[in-house]
Amino acid sequence: MEKNEAIQIVIEAVKGYIDDENVPVNAETVLLGNNAVVDSIGLVNLIVDIESALAEKDIEVTLTSEDAMSRRKSPFRSVDTLSDYIIELSA
Amino acid sequence: MERVMIITGSRKGIGRYLAEYYLERNITVIGCSRSESDLKHQKYEHYCLDVADEKAVQKLVRQTAKKYGKIDYLINNAGIASMNHSFLTPLSIVEKMFSTNVFGTFLFTRECAKIMSKKKFGRIVNMTTFAVPFKLEGEAVYAASKAAITVMAEALAREYADYGITVNTVAPPAVQTDLIAHVKKEKMDKLLQRQAIHRFGKAKDVANAIDFFLHDNSSMVTGQTVYLGGV
Repeated sequence: MEKNEAIQIVIEAVKGYIDDENVPVNAETVLLGNNAVVDSIGLVNLIVDIESALAEKDIEVTLTSEDAMSRRKSPFRSVDTLSDYIIELSA
Repeated sequence: MERVMIITGSRKGIGRYLAEYYLERNITVIGCSRSESDLKHQKYEHYCLDVADEKAVQKLVRQTAKKYGKIDYLINNAGIASMNHSFLTPLSIVEKMFSTNVFGTFLFTRECAKIMSKKKFGRIVNMTTFAVPFKLEGEAVYAASKAAITVMAEALAREYADYGITVNTVAPPAVQTDLIAHVKKEKMDKLLQRQAIHRFGKAKDVANAIDFFLHDNSSMVTGQTVYLGGV
């Protein structure tokens, strides 16, 4: 999967979840911690939506692996880091 | 409206009865077990898998969601029992019981709830046992694994409430299935005396309790356990 494609999937999922056209969503959008556009439950829902979007493209991955949860730098920090993580899992 | 149900452990026993029961009610049933099923029905699909195999469970759930666009009901029926004194219970048996009974229930619940959350509707029913409240000797590990399911259901009922998903648990009464085929008659008689109703139940009694949990009007019923036969 190309990086741009992964970014688009994550952006679409974030936009779909927050459903607010006034909030700009791009690769730099923060998903975890201060300035995050979603709260913790929102992130959970977002992960489910992204897994579903990937499954639609026949990419079967589980984003919430033990590896993801134990990394010092969470892959869920931003649209960009999450896209990198998706590429890593789907490789 | 067509309803879609997943039943684990649907090859035989109560799971098989439930599959046939809900097929008769025009519900599409997706069943699974470790081995092939001889149940043939236009609205029945069977997967061969180990319920504790995360990837296999994800595949079944995602394929079902893709094909039907939703999953309305999940019945976590698959379970194994080994009734023996703890001195005679190897760790491998303990691991197997927890793997099927607890991990399998967790995996199916998690994956189905993800799909159900999108439609803001779902009914999840787990199976437990009267061995939990009776604290039956010789069933320490089996009862512990089922107690885990019961508590997990109570916690998940809270986690999933905002998604319109209910999570409940049914404990069948003593029912004559393969699960207790090797239990001595005297022990079963003693057990029946401990139930409020001193007779074996039938699979239809289990279906009746499940019907209540599945009902559209049961949206306020969650985190509950029904012990059939009375404890």
